[in-house]
Amino acid sequence: MAVDMAMPILVVDDYKTMIRIIRNLLKQLGFDNVDEAADGEEAFQKMQASGGFGLVISDWNMEPMTGYELLKQVRGDDKLKGTPFIMITAESKTENVIAAKRAGVNNYIVKPFNAATLKQKISSVIGDF
Amino acid sequence: MPATDVAAKIRTALNDIKSADLDDPRLMEVLSLAENLVDSMKMFFGSLDNSIHGEFLHIGQYIARTRDEIAALRPNDIRESRLPTAGAELEAVVNDTETATETIMSLAEEIMTLEPDNLANYKAQVDEKMMGMIEACSFQDITGQRVSKVVSTLTHIEERVARFSSVMGVMDAVDDDCDEKEQWRKDNLLNGPQIDGPATGQDAIDALFDGDVSASELGQDDIDNMFD
Repeated sequence: MAVDMAMPILVVDDYKTMIRIIRNLLKQLGFDNVDEAADGEEAFQKMQASGGFGLVISDWNMEPMTGYELLKQVRGDDKLKGTPFIMITAESKTENVIAAKRAGVNNYIVKPFNAATLKQKISSVIGDF
Repeated sequence: MPATDVAAKIRTALNDIKSADLDDPRLMEVLSLAENLVDSMKMFFGSLDNSIHGEFLHIGQYIARTRDEIAALRPNDIRESRLPTAGAELEAVVNDTETATETIMSLAEEIMTLEPDNLANYKAQVDEKMMGMIEACSFQDITGQRVSKVVSTLTHIEERVARFSSVMGVMDAVDDDCDEKEQWRKDNLLNGPQIDGPATGQDAIDALFDGDVSASELGQDDIDNMFD
């Protein structure tokens, strides 16, 4: 099935610069419908209030709610549990990757990353575009 | 009152009793015993005086040495000058990098929106914005110098604390001074970027998600845990 390039994507990071970088990368990849949140709590509220996001790209290290906690809440919510979720972190210890995978993350990107890596991971989660 | 003075007073009192011309031999015997006791007490209190004096002298010297070592730490200099300066330098580093990032990203976004209808004009604008990016990268020189100052301060503190700890024979106490917020961070947040790159590379993570565990750098225990 063809990827809907107009689907809403939620980018979650407590650093505005990182959100801006990901926004620009997504724009270059053809995704213009991007919303943002500064932590897991705000992200979860936006997800519940919206009609649903086609993809969530989230940092792990955020306060008060981490990306990992957001992932668990999303997977535990009947309405949202099917949302594709990509985790991005600067630290990539094996146990973190395993914990995220067990919690149901669809893919995992280590910072710093480039547009090609982002495209590859999005493709592996939602299909080629 | 020193022990020698006490002994002298008791001895005088005993002599007064003896010179009172008492006939009772049993009383004289008691007085003789008392005299022996006074001599023994004098020796005991004398040694006790010397021992206590020695202990206090030792404690006094230890306190003086501790005070000298604390003075050598220069705690007021660290608290009032070095740490605030280091904090200000780090804040400036954050601001410098933020400003440079903002400039570079804005210029890049402007380039991406340029209309290439007139090639000469397009090239001139791209050149100008590229030059702006190159200029913005000068932040690295400034931040490098600022970070060097902070490293110097940390080294200064590290050396002095290590010397103090060594000289005073300090043992580390149990780390139980962790407030609720700090504990939450320890339990929930990652430590951030590792020195010398990520602990697990993107290729190893990809192998894990592709199910190609043989190409993964993950240990067998980790892999086994995933299938438990």
